[in-house]
Amino acid sequence: MDNSLRNVIEALIFISLDPLSIEKMKNVLEEFPPQKVEEAIEKLIKNYNSNDRGIQIIKSGGGYLFSTKPEYDTWIKRLLRIERKNKLSSAALETLSTIAYHQPITLAEISALRGVDSSHTLKTLLQKKLIKIVGRKKCPGKPLIYRTSEKFLTYFGINSLKELPTQEEISKILEEEKDF
Amino acid sequence: MESKESYQVRLEVFQGPLDLLLFLIRKQKIDIQDIPIAIITKEYLEYLNQKKRININREAEFLYIAALLIYIKSQMLLPREKALEEDDDPRQTLVNRLLDYQKVKMASILLRKKEEKEHLKWKRTFTPPFLKKEDLDLEEVSLFDLAEVFFSIMKRKKIQDIKILKTKEFSIEDKMKEILEALRENSFIDFLEYFTQQESFEEALISFFGLLELIKIKTVIAIQEKLFHSIKVWLAKDHYLRQN
Repeated sequence: MDNSLRNVIEALIFISLDPLSIEKMKNVLEEFPPQKVEEAIEKLIKNYNSNDRGIQIIKSGGGYLFSTKPEYDTWIKRLLRIERKNKLSSAALETLSTIAYHQPITLAEISALRGVDSSHTLKTLLQKKLIKIVGRKKCPGKPLIYRTSEKFLTYFGINSLKELPTQEEISKILEEEKDF
Repeated sequence: MESKESYQVRLEVFQGPLDLLLFLIRKQKIDIQDIPIAIITKEYLEYLNQKKRININREAEFLYIAALLIYIKSQMLLPREKALEEDDDPRQTLVNRLLDYQKVKMASILLRKKEEKEHLKWKRTFTPPFLKKEDLDLEEVSLFDLAEVFFSIMKRKKIQDIKILKTKEFSIEDKMKEILEALRENSFIDFLEYFTQQESFEEALISFFGLLELIKIKTVIAIQEKLFHSIKVWLAKDHYLRQN
């Protein structure tokens, strides 16, 4: 029985387009006690991570999803005929982290923090769907308000915004730089 | 031409005036809290002087910080009867801005590391649409279909916005690159959605030419899955991969 629950979960994750959240899973698996579902997921992940597999189950973007293991990158790229994945430009990355840490935020606020006009980068990020517009600020000019999207989380392999590098981690880097 | 090049350099090396300032402070291995304004200002101006021509529009932000540094120095040189209150110290405002900016900068270094790690893990970002019987004869859309849809979108758009103040210049090459990049990210583009997003008629028109060019050189392929369904644009190689 235990074993079959694990298989069901495997199938559910396999067929999901977006990261499959644990709540959704519990809803679907109504005949199983939630506790059992959680245990089964853990076992499934362990099972995949152990060995003998080219793929794994990761927790990212608020749910579970399949990904290939990093060591097989070379061959996947060969298959898909992709030489390298496009990285975000450093301007885009900087804008993105400004938004991530100060959201909800407007264009003017982003530009002020970075000290440089950010309208172009913002447009790129919107096109890449890494950020989204969530409304307008109730102040003169009613500027648009931006937030990071779900795709932002999966893009960086983060499960929720709480997992963003903390203030301590940031200060730690600063210390290291000083030593250097 | 000259100014365009300096702009490029600026994009790669310094994201903005704060970035440059932060760099200079680090180079001197100084604590941000305690900036020797004269030294930093000197280096800052030296950097600006390296550019033979300054494009005011682009470098205004840099000049603003340079002016601010000089202002702070002059304030500090003035004798005062009373010492300045902490809040009035112009240095403090600058320091606060720099500290905020430094945090963002460090956070983006951490995010870059995460990005690199994630890029090695490939996900099924899309599931290939399951082929049903009636879908088997997917039809490549003709040029006229595309043009028809395009102009109907633009007509609708024109009614919505008539308040274009200034348009940036776009080139077909840029737009072709933009389309290809979008395709690499999202596997396909919804024709309708893509052109509705364009800001002005000129921009949309240039994008459209870019798209036609890409279709002509057979890099992308435009397909309508069913009558009255939206037109989707795929990278040609993705499309064939999906069919086989």
